[in-house]
Amino acid sequence: MKTFIYSLLALSTFLIFSCSSDDTDNSEELTGSGEVSLTFDNGFNGNDLVLGTANGANTNGESITVTRFNYIVSNFRLVNKDGVEYTFPKDQGYFIINQEEESDEVALPEIPAGEYTTLKFGVGVDQEKYLQGAEGQGDFLTLAEENNMMWSWQAGYKFLNFEGTFTSETVTESTDFKVHMGSHGSSLDNYKEVSLSLPMNVRVGDGVDSNIHLKIDASKILVGATTSIKLTEKSVIMVDEVKSPQIAVNTSQMFAVDHIHNGGGH
Amino acid sequence: MKLISTINALQNTKHLILFLAVLFSTIVHGNGIPKNNWPVKCPDHTHYEDLFYDFCDTCGCGSSGGSMGYGTGLNNNFFGLRYIGQEYRSRDGIFADSPWIQENFNTLQAWGNFALTKKTLLNIIVPYQFHNRSFPDNTSQEINGLGDISILGFYNVLPVTPDSIISITPEHYIQIGGGIKMPTGKYDKANNTGSVNPSFQVGNGSWDYIFAMNYGFTYRNWGISTLLNYNLKTKNPKGYQFGNQLNYGVNAFKTYYVSNSLALTPQLGLAGESYGTNKEFDMKVANSKGSVFLGKISLEATYNQYSLGLIGMLPMDQNLNNNKVELKNRVSVYLNMNL
Repeated sequence: MKTFIYSLLALSTFLIFSCSSDDTDNSEELTGSGEVSLTFDNGFNGNDLVLGTANGANTNGESITVTRFNYIVSNFRLVNKDGVEYTFPKDQGYFIINQEEESDEVALPEIPAGEYTTLKFGVGVDQEKYLQGAEGQGDFLTLAEENNMMWSWQAGYKFLNFEGTFTSETVTESTDFKVHMGSHGSSLDNYKEVSLSLPMNVRVGDGVDSNIHLKIDASKILVGATTSIKLTEKSVIMVDEVKSPQIAVNTSQMFAVDHIHNGGGH
Repeated sequence: MKLISTINALQNTKHLILFLAVLFSTIVHGNGIPKNNWPVKCPDHTHYEDLFYDFCDTCGCGSSGGSMGYGTGLNNNFFGLRYIGQEYRSRDGIFADSPWIQENFNTLQAWGNFALTKKTLLNIIVPYQFHNRSFPDNTSQEINGLGDISILGFYNVLPVTPDSIISITPEHYIQIGGGIKMPTGKYDKANNTGSVNPSFQVGNGSWDYIFAMNYGFTYRNWGISTLLNYNLKTKNPKGYQFGNQLNYGVNAFKTYYVSNSLALTPQLGLAGESYGTNKEFDMKVANSKGSVFLGKISLEATYNQYSLGLIGMLPMDQNLNNNKVELKNRVSVYLNMNL
């Protein structure tokens, strides 16, 4: 029996020392720079947003089927754990999220190494950019046209293009709605800023590319925290001095960070 | 039944040691796990090859047995093979109506309890994992390889009555032990990219410490066995740390002696597992803790020195990863040779 015991002890010792991990690429040190990507995962009141599919009635008693959901996001900034803010280059800083085209990704390359705690960005195009004139827009003007995000150069960009059909208690026939929100030249500024603190620091550096997964709730466009807009009262909202700014505020409330994918070292 | 004839051939301890040594070292050195390069398709997510997405650790119980325990609760001196099958589903996406990924976790363990002295025994579990999952778009993925080996030592605080002897007064036993779970299984970050279930791994990559206690008593041919164990998990080389895990269980059994050589022991039990929050680079991972409470039914047939066991477990209550992961069932089959 003694032989048996010794053999087992020898065996376990052998197992312990022969199985040490050879994974040594624990890159806790962050150097250089890396990419932070953002995924804008569009949903509607907790469910996935599927174009052409009816959603459950909102608190206004309106059941909405979305057929188009595009918006402009811009001017990305990341605040690191020491409170220092990094601004992504402004001339590359305008992006369109388009549900039809399934473009839901924003890539921000060459972010300085570090751990970031807060994400800030704008919804729409700010006045500074707009006042650079048509030539100052670069390729973004064409991109906006291709994505149905322009009225005309004079009228400006549509920051949000939200279309579909709805029914309500009084509107029993499926009726088209259009919510196009933007700044209307320089007379009405609907550009809004969003600041989201991250549930976990996003880490980035050489060989460490990470992702911030945002959960978008499109139902908030009409039913915001403070303002509720009824399509039954007005189903086409474009240049509207009262409702358009309300839509802008509501739209800025539809973003939340669901989770972070932190990349690892190579 | 090749196995039985093989075991039969091992008529003395020396051969047994040799067999165990060969078996274990073969498994350890047969570590040429094929690297899985299956593309993970995930319509609601954009995933990067090196990103990982992490929630609860269920591979921890797949590799060690979790609330199934480190032994059968019936025998102190055995070795054999145990299969554990676990069916899970996890959300493929972040929404309430996101589709499910079906996951099957399969573990084949060479396991044994070996009495070192009258008061001490050694428990060794060497798992081989073969898992698969199917995505809503009908693609699937498989991973397999050696899992995380665990070695525990137990001390018999109270003596144990061998189960073949019917005692007149209740016989209590208490075993206290501890040990390690080694990162012998491969932890591959890329496997975590397609699912909210981070346990789609053959190992969790870390050295973990286990504290365990078994208590039970037998009275005539009735018995109660209980188990409690705590797994203290450390950070793995990828900067990921699975949450600590508490497992517990209680079983009631009765042994029927059909003949001199055949005994049947049906068991009914309850078991629970509780998982702490996972950490990534020392930061808490949201929706990563959870617990599950299970009902258990099993039958062990003992013929001479061989025991064949069947176990079925169904969850009675669970909240894993904020309900983004669901355990559907567990089954286990074991064939042991009692020493």
